[in-house]
Amino acid sequence: MSEAGAPARDPLPLRLLDLAAMATNIAGSALILGLMVLIGLDVAGRNLLGAPLPGVPEMVSLSIVAIVFLQAPQTLGAGRMARSTALPDTLSRKNPAAARLLEDVWDLVGAAVLAILVWATWPNLVRDWERSTFVGAVGDFTAPTWPVKATIVVGGALLVLQFIARIWRRHRRAAERVA
Amino acid sequence: MTPFDIGLIALVVLVVSVMAGLLVPVALMACSFAGVWAIKGSPELAAKLMALAASDTIASYFFGVVPLFVLMGFLVSESGMGRDAFDVANHAFRRIKGGLGVGTVGANAIFAAITGISIASAAVFTKIAVPQMVRNGYAPRFATGVVAGSSVLGMLIPPSLLLILYGILTEQSIGDLFIAGILPGLLLGLVFGLGIVAVAAFAPKALGSPTVPEDGDLTQRDILAKGLPIVTLIVLVLGGIYGGIFTPVEAGAMGAIGALVLGLLKGTLGLRAIGRVLIETGLVTASICFLIIAAQMYSRMLSFSGLPAGFGSLVADAELGLMAVLTLYIAVVIAMGMILDSSSIMLILVPLMLPVMTGFGVDLVWFGIITVIAVEIGLLTPPFGISVYVIKSTLDDPTVSLADIFIGAAPFALAMLGVLVLVIAFPVIATGLVP
Repeated sequence: MSEAGAPARDPLPLRLLDLAAMATNIAGSALILGLMVLIGLDVAGRNLLGAPLPGVPEMVSLSIVAIVFLQAPQTLGAGRMARSTALPDTLSRKNPAAARLLEDVWDLVGAAVLAILVWATWPNLVRDWERSTFVGAVGDFTAPTWPVKATIVVGGALLVLQFIARIWRRHRRAAERVA
Repeated sequence: MTPFDIGLIALVVLVVSVMAGLLVPVALMACSFAGVWAIKGSPELAAKLMALAASDTIASYFFGVVPLFVLMGFLVSESGMGRDAFDVANHAFRRIKGGLGVGTVGANAIFAAITGISIASAAVFTKIAVPQMVRNGYAPRFATGVVAGSSVLGMLIPPSLLLILYGILTEQSIGDLFIAGILPGLLLGLVFGLGIVAVAAFAPKALGSPTVPEDGDLTQRDILAKGLPIVTLIVLVLGGIYGGIFTPVEAGAMGAIGALVLGLLKGTLGLRAIGRVLIETGLVTASICFLIIAAQMYSRMLSFSGLPAGFGSLVADAELGLMAVLTLYIAVVIAMGMILDSSSIMLILVPLMLPVMTGFGVDLVWFGIITVIAVEIGLLTPPFGISVYVIKSTLDDPTVSLADIFIGAAPFALAMLGVLVLVIAFPVIATGLVP
């Protein structure tokens, strides 16, 4: 497939990471669609049949956290996280090497912060799993809370990898341009 | 160092690192982590607090509004209802001078009532309205300026993502905020429209050499076919909320379902388009909710440091008066709007200003409308007016420069400043309809 002059194909770890980010992204999108259908059924059931679905508020509150952490890796990968690009853009015109260094530092800060988040969430995941923590009311509707903690750990870990991948990609591109 | 000093340092580091290009949520999380660590002396505690914010901040039924209203907005754009709104508005305004410009403003006002994201409006109308205006002799600078300026109506006329965010931050009723946005939104649309007519009458050269389009006429049947789906959605969503049938979350879901069904009936939504909409909704939801989580950590750190309370008493001691404080606040918001997106600005500034405003005993719904208008002015100001960048990248026309669009949008930013002053001078414009 690769033509002369086209950028070289990403190495395997980067491609795997892209694949993982895309997979969690699709899972998150499916959850949003599910949320819409769930609430629609609840509204219809309540108003037409006089029978609301049980547990909708709990399901919504749990899935919204999952949605965010499943989508976040792709959001970062697509460059859609909120930031101000004014200074980095100016700097990269005047001194590309310095601009790359600055971006590297910022990506390292990002990786460190998310790593702390994953590290601090892990014990909560284990605890919720061991104690079978749930939300809702027994006899009506209950949902376990550990899957939500799991999405934070998975999404957070993918974010750490994405930050590192950003550094890697930046230097690969720079090296290509020199070559 | 007192906690107050630490909070102040964290705030300065936050602003500097954000300006230097650190991702806003990362900056908020890093500064909060370091701040809590320094104040409480325990990195474990700071990390636990971060984990707590991540799992608990948005884990509430209430946050369902964010993805659902974003989904509705994208479904509405993808299903061609922007085009319909534009056709109907043009039919209404085609005979007056500068009619296409006024029509674009009107179409944006209609479209704003079924979508809550300025950026969606900017992208949709760049594709629809700009080519049409340019074909009819309008200057590109004016055409893009109108689209940039009137896209901000999306954030004022309900439903509005920014008002939802503000409601979440300040625990105000989203229903009340939505109602409060209606009159300022309509007033802004009116000022835009009258301004265009006035320019067309007194300085027509500023518009280029516009001609009256020949193909703007619609039959009654067309108007019904184009207008009815939009009216249905407005009634479903806003009627549902205010009729007490739906919670805002349910209204978002019903709006999304309604838009989906209408798009399928019109035959404008295919499977591929729905897939694209879902992915896009996910990205926008994640970037906003991630910001909210980070902002929650930041506001906890702030309250540990006592900075907002200290800031509040500082302002009280200085006896500045409400107007002076508001003026300063608006100046800061607009200045930040030059480098940051609207959600980030709101999430950084509002927690800091809340105790100050509560100290003055002002109506927080009114303050919300002021904040949203000020933030939206920033969307139009260089060097980083997001709406302008969206238009530039959607337009993909090298003959229209960013500077052209900024110049074209400048009169609209001025008009917004005027409406902002009116809302401050006459709070009833915002609060009049609120029960």
